[in-house]
Amino acid sequence: MEKYFKITEVRDRGWKGSFLSTLFYLFFSLVLLALTVPDSFAQTGRGKAESLIKESAVLSEDGNIDKAIEVCKEAVKADPDYAEAHDQLGQMLLRKGKYDEAISSFNSGLKINPRLRSAKTGIGFALLKKGDLKGAETVLKEALMLNPYPSTAHYALGLVYEKLNDYDKAVNQFKEGIQKYKSGKK
Amino acid sequence: MKISNGKEKILVLQAIAFFIIVVVSFTCSATAQALLQSGDKASDFSLKDMQGKEVSLSQFSQKKAVAIVFWSSWSANSPKALKRFEEFYKNYKDKGIQVIGINADNQTISEEDMGKISKLTKELDITFPILLDKNLKTFHEYNIIALPSIMVVTEGKISYELPGFPLVGTEDMFDFLRVQSGEAPRKQMEAKYKPRHDAIADASLARQFVKKKMYTMAYPLFLKAIEKDGKYILPYIELARLYELEGKKLEAEETLRKVLLVEPNSVVILSELGYFLSKAGKTKEAIEVLSKAVKMNSYTPAHYYYAYALAKDGKFKESLAAFDESILLNPFDSMIYSLRGEVYEKNSMLKEASSDYKKALELILKIKN
Repeated sequence: MEKYFKITEVRDRGWKGSFLSTLFYLFFSLVLLALTVPDSFAQTGRGKAESLIKESAVLSEDGNIDKAIEVCKEAVKADPDYAEAHDQLGQMLLRKGKYDEAISSFNSGLKINPRLRSAKTGIGFALLKKGDLKGAETVLKEALMLNPYPSTAHYALGLVYEKLNDYDKAVNQFKEGIQKYKSGKK
Repeated sequence: MKISNGKEKILVLQAIAFFIIVVVSFTCSATAQALLQSGDKASDFSLKDMQGKEVSLSQFSQKKAVAIVFWSSWSANSPKALKRFEEFYKNYKDKGIQVIGINADNQTISEEDMGKISKLTKELDITFPILLDKNLKTFHEYNIIALPSIMVVTEGKISYELPGFPLVGTEDMFDFLRVQSGEAPRKQMEAKYKPRHDAIADASLARQFVKKKMYTMAYPLFLKAIEKDGKYILPYIELARLYELEGKKLEAEETLRKVLLVEPNSVVILSELGYFLSKAGKTKEAIEVLSKAVKMNSYTPAHYYYAYALAKDGKFKESLAAFDESILLNPFDSMIYSLRGEVYEKNSMLKEASSDYKKALELILKIKN
């Protein structure tokens, strides 16, 4: 490593020289990385799944949920062990109103990665939409224990309490969500 | 000076880290800079017009000035602003002035919204491009705080900003545009103040440290920015916020009072001071300060801070009316609902409080319903 960075030669050139050389090597390495890594990575199932997930996010932003679901299904096919692909499919199905399918997709993601932070919140949302408020409350509380970025889970739990006409608890959850977001825990 | 290899490596890494922070600080958009963005680089955007054609800011880079009008069909002053700009555009489009209207009716434009937008622009016979801001991305990038709002861009930088379409200030803005077109101003114009570049750089770097919660690094940089340019009000305000965040209330108040002496008529300072005083329980003075700010122009925070102060003073009905005013100016500002939620909560109206906090969180998380 030292040979690669030629530290001794760098020192001889003085501070400015060493700084510029380091920047040059850094830039050179990044260019090399950018030229070589993405191509080989994209050829793997994981690379393909990731790029499909990005595509589905754009489609979803454009309001094209049906197409986004199709693309997510392709992502799951490309890499069935990729938990995020199942999660993204769950999110799209949730938006489409297919709550049972969404729950099943979230569960597939959780089987691969039991700490998948948004899948539990997703299940909570789906149960809430199905009217299973108690079930949603339980899952969302679990999500809050798992999730380091809990604002969305607080939001969903707030919705559950609002539906249960427990406004005191709803207020607390929404406020907590706002506060956590502002403190950087999104 | 002899430095060991290990130390040298650390120094090089530190220098790179510093370099990256400096670069990032210049490229990140500052969220707290609403109304204080003059001199900042204008973010380029590419949005679709009503016919689906992409229009970008950069395609007008050869123009002497571009006036961007953020508007909505539901805001009372927007038709007035569009009409006035259409008249202006007809006379000045051949003199290097471009006008662009950016609609901000909703996060997602429904068919009903499209109908309203189309009807209004036809009625007003608008000939300049009307663009649709999907997800209000450009609206947020430009830190818009009221509708309508006008941003003037010259040489790629924001050179004038006008929230609302107030009686006072609007003519000055048109005068500014006339000057850009090469005409003489109708009245004597004061030279526009521009903060010193090195002060902007220090404040910007300090802001990055605040974001990273490296407060001890931020303090000296804010103070340096103030020392370099005593008229540059942004570092005062952000320093006061930092003091408050760290529980140094006395220092926060002192800083705000100090900057008020520098710019006694700044709506931003009056609003910040008023809000601070409300929270500190000095409600009478807060109301006095904020009522002055509210009368000055359509700066939305002035209106909701005023509403909050009124509620703290027990004037609940007046408070709700003032909150309604601020919603009319900018319904996408989450702070309105957060503060009104707090007011409802204090008055034991939990259902209403819950609804407002929910709305605030939806806006923060950009949740669409």
